[in-house]
Amino acid sequence: MAHQAHAYHMVDPSPWPLTGAVAALLMTSGLAIWMHFNSVTLMSLGLVLLLLTMYQWWRDIVREGTFQGHHTPPVQKGLRYGMILFITSEVFFFLGFFWAFYHSSLAPTPELGGCWPPAGITTLDPFEVPLLNTAVLLASGVTVTWAHHSIMEGHRKQAIQSLTLTILLGFYFTILQALEYYEAPFTIADGVYGSTFFVATGFHGLHVIIGSTFLAVCLLRQVQYHFTSEHHFGFEAAAWYWHFVDVVWLFLYISIYWWGS
Amino acid sequence: MFRALSRVSTAGFRSLARTRTGYSAPLASRCYSHGKVETDEEFDSRWVTYFSKPDIDAWELRKGMNTLIGYDLVPEPKILDSALRACRRLNDLASAIRILEAVKDKAGPHKDIYPYVIQELKPTLTELGISTPEELGIDKL
Repeated sequence: MAHQAHAYHMVDPSPWPLTGAVAALLMTSGLAIWMHFNSVTLMSLGLVLLLLTMYQWWRDIVREGTFQGHHTPPVQKGLRYGMILFITSEVFFFLGFFWAFYHSSLAPTPELGGCWPPAGITTLDPFEVPLLNTAVLLASGVTVTWAHHSIMEGHRKQAIQSLTLTILLGFYFTILQALEYYEAPFTIADGVYGSTFFVATGFHGLHVIIGSTFLAVCLLRQVQYHFTSEHHFGFEAAAWYWHFVDVVWLFLYISIYWWGS
Repeated sequence: MFRALSRVSTAGFRSLARTRTGYSAPLASRCYSHGKVETDEEFDSRWVTYFSKPDIDAWELRKGMNTLIGYDLVPEPKILDSALRACRRLNDLASAIRILEAVKDKAGPHKDIYPYVIQELKPTLTELGISTPEELGIDKL
């Protein structure tokens, strides 16, 4: 049997990077086809391929780490760096949308009436559903921390309960926000107000859905005994991501919902 | 729209028409326990300088106006003159007229302030070819 004289993980050849790249190609060109020729087939194909790639690639990582023991301490350290760098890149992603918002709102153009909110825009009351949403996400930050401590202390049932509660709070936020979108007195087409509002909060909502999914996968893994009290990096990564989503919301709430009203 | 701030009679308009003697009001009614207090003259000249920047860009003009209008005061004619000249440099007639509308709004219930400001700015308005909202008939809804 072959052995390695180091603690690192030399990954076996895998088709998923290629299928992922093909998915990206099909989605982008599919988007162009949709815009010009009114057909969603190519883009949908790309989307399906993307979902399959994600499922199989991450399934393989779980197999390599949890079942085959490849995630030694240095390997885990690399995964930590990776997750931190990824979240940092997402921070910069949102920074761009905040830049756009502040550029437009600190110096509103004559077309808007030289004021912010622009003339004719009825903003949402920041002390109604948006405040509830803030409470929901802050609470979910508490429950995910509770889940982490439960895992570290070996309390299986509590970990499952608190993780489930976190996910439910995430869904609650998503539902509330969806209702807000439906009832809002302005649309994405309503000038720069609509654009900055819906693009920033929209991408945030997408990240809530991604984060909730990540946590749900962790719940499934916790139920199937994947995590130990010492080694549960997948959960930690999900929790970091979830806290990031919460922090972005706090900035959105303060900037767009509160100051911007 | 422009937020309605409390229009306390002494805290607002600074001009030759005021009756108090000697002392200078602190910057925009902030009451700090310590720190240097800006005089009215320093405030005015700071803003005149801001709008006098030769290569001021459109964003800076709008930002300056929004910040200035956010204060609990009606800007001095000399500041407005500088802002109107900045509008001229930027070919922004719309903002120039909007500035006059903002002054009227900032004066609130003090109906004598706006006509006074227009009177002080008349030479500049004529020189730059800026009509007032009243002349254009857009002061009525």
